[in-house]
Amino acid sequence: MTEKKALLLVGSPRGIEQSTSGRLGGRLLDALKERGFETDKLHVHAVVRSPTETERALAAVAWADLVVLSLPLYVDSFPAPVIALFERIAEQRVGAGRTRILLIIQCGFPESEQNATALAIAECFAAEVGWRWLGGLALGGVETYGGSAHEVLDLIGKALAEGRPAPDLAANKAMPAWLYRIGGNIMWRREAKKNGVARRLRAKPYAD
Amino acid sequence: MNALVLDGFRGEEGQGVLAVLTNALAQAGYATEVVVLREKTIAPCLGCFGCWIKTPGECVIDDDGRAVARAAVRSDLLAYVTPVTFGGFSSELKKAVDRFIPNISPFFARVQGETHHQRRYRRCPSLIGLGVLPQPDREAEAIFKTLVAHNALNWRSPRTAAAVVALDGTSDVAAIARGLIEAVAR
Repeated sequence: MTEKKALLLVGSPRGIEQSTSGRLGGRLLDALKERGFETDKLHVHAVVRSPTETERALAAVAWADLVVLSLPLYVDSFPAPVIALFERIAEQRVGAGRTRILLIIQCGFPESEQNATALAIAECFAAEVGWRWLGGLALGGVETYGGSAHEVLDLIGKALAEGRPAPDLAANKAMPAWLYRIGGNIMWRREAKKNGVARRLRAKPYAD
Repeated sequence: MNALVLDGFRGEEGQGVLAVLTNALAQAGYATEVVVLREKTIAPCLGCFGCWIKTPGECVIDDDGRAVARAAVRSDLLAYVTPVTFGGFSSELKKAVDRFIPNISPFFARVQGETHHQRRYRRCPSLIGLGVLPQPDREAEAIFKTLVAHNALNWRSPRTAAAVVALDGTSDVAAIARGLIEAVAR
């Protein structure tokens, strides 16, 4: 019988409450909670800072039968602290043969396809440690989705709680890539201007 | 020509492969610096974008991550050497790679049909990835090669190559190292 214990691992350095990863993962966790799941959340960057906290995190992973990893794409992969925690999980084979894992990943580019390598890494991790891979929700330019990402997460939560496979994991984005690039470039200039460095945006401090 | 080799191992287990690679680089005429990442203090990237919009080109964290990022920009060839970890890089290597973000521009551009960042520096190092596995694993190897190729696209590396060697005696490490160096020299 499947237990109903879900752990959200937030892999953004910005924390659980302040990050997009935390908000997206939290939405799924809420959907699971409404359907009878016990839930817990951990901020990965915080727990890998000390051996004691890492041990606590490994115990939380062992407690869960469903792990939801929600994180931003960092250079085509996971942020380093997430890899560090996964190395520890793999060493001890925590939850082997029992735990299921679902990924929510979002990148700062409009193309969700750019998350593909990170999805493959997550699936490879699951195979190596003996977890069941449930798939991933890959988002690009997440701020352009409006409510559709949340709607998909609610559907995933409902399916998981009912013991069904997750539905087609996709959300529709509202903005074409060319417009995203133009809007993004304007945003960077505006933010730099606020900090008084607009003229130094293309600085080359490490040039020979 | 100079090469920067990043040792992404958590212990001494990669010494043999690293020695083979550095010998091959020397024979190819590179002056090589090896950075043992586990001996460096490199905090995780904060995701604050300060390196783009507060101190453009430099991370706001003042630790060894800055020196490694500077050395990477000034190299002709950047080499990642790492245990293949779930098909990707070890946490030791990734902590340094995550801190290379200051070396590119925040501005977006369309590159090979995808959105990427513009280059900050006119000259970028070529990138090679040398992954190490206890025994051959074709799936992990394929992910690793794709990851290195995508990194090269992000860093706008002019040339790139990646390979995985197995420590079970089935890999000719010297030939593979020479092949990587030749691939980026063309």
